[in-house]
Amino acid sequence: MNRYELIETLVPVLKDTLVVCNIGIPSQELFSICDRENHFYMLGSMGLCSSIGLGLALTTNKSVVALEGDGALLMNLGTLATIGNRAPDNLILLVIDNGSYGSTGDQATYTNEATSLAAMARGGGCQSVIECPGDETARVLANALDAKQPSVIISKVVPGNRPLPVVPLHPIVLRERFKETIQT
Amino acid sequence: MVNLSISAQLVATLKAAGVDFFVSVPCKLLAGQIRLLEQDTDVCYLPVTREEEGFGICAGASLGGRMPCILMQDSGLGNSINALKSLIQFFQIPVVMLMSYRGSPGEPVPAQVPMGLLAPELLKLMQIPVLNCHQPGDLGDIGSLVEHARIAQSPVAIFIDFQLMEGDA
Repeated sequence: MNRYELIETLVPVLKDTLVVCNIGIPSQELFSICDRENHFYMLGSMGLCSSIGLGLALTTNKSVVALEGDGALLMNLGTLATIGNRAPDNLILLVIDNGSYGSTGDQATYTNEATSLAAMARGGGCQSVIECPGDETARVLANALDAKQPSVIISKVVPGNRPLPVVPLHPIVLRERFKETIQT
Repeated sequence: MVNLSISAQLVATLKAAGVDFFVSVPCKLLAGQIRLLEQDTDVCYLPVTREEEGFGICAGASLGGRMPCILMQDSGLGNSINALKSLIQFFQIPVVMLMSYRGSPGEPVPAQVPMGLLAPELLKLMQIPVLNCHQPGDLGDIGSLVEHARIAQSPVAIFIDFQLMEGDA
């Protein structure tokens, strides 16, 4: 299972949550599979998906899923300490770990070698950390949403990208429709 | 407010202007404000590990309907340029940057000087409005700066320097 195939299985589970999606091809794939107003596609600022998700979760009662990548999380590892100590019950950090910088030509990340993002999350103080294969992730995510506690899910998939255009939404349109979704 | 310390005046002025969400990366000049925020139950406050992470959290809080503020050193501006440009300014998110003006006169650490010299021009180049707070009377302009952040949908910066914070209790 690759990222696109994983996201296809996640979309039904993400229907009623606020979704912050990692920059680049992950956002393009999510947009292509299913564009909804509860999706905030990052158009820039690689590495900050989990941080945007944390700020959002601290200021809304709705469930928030930060759909992060392994390469992007490696850019902002301090987030695991902040989330490990301050995440509210409505935050789920779901890392799509394909061991690859998919948007830049599939260079390998260190999660292919000795690095474990699950161990890093536990070291950061995160209590509920689950590493699972891609094809079990939708079920794990549904359970995590029901559990009403902060969770980190590391979903292991293989590299691979769909050739898709950039998300064609203007940032202010995207921001405003997302804010409206939060308020309703 | 004349009986309040400068730190207490800064926090009170920001709160009166509607700022209700704070993150911080520490600095000696920000220590008093951070101590107050840690005990403040009216607002959401959390320490963060790096400035660009803080801007991400502030962006999320703004989407959630809050008016966020990041406390940081001016040196942290160098860590944050992409977050400011491709997230905060690209999505036009209001954020107050309460920045210690390290590297300015009174600075005891030589290594702080290069970023201190660059920071004002960097903010100008990045088109971020700045309020320099050099004496207590300057704090009176914070309210209109925060309102400007809302109207302009823009980050704004407040510099607090060694002279202002001298004798802060």
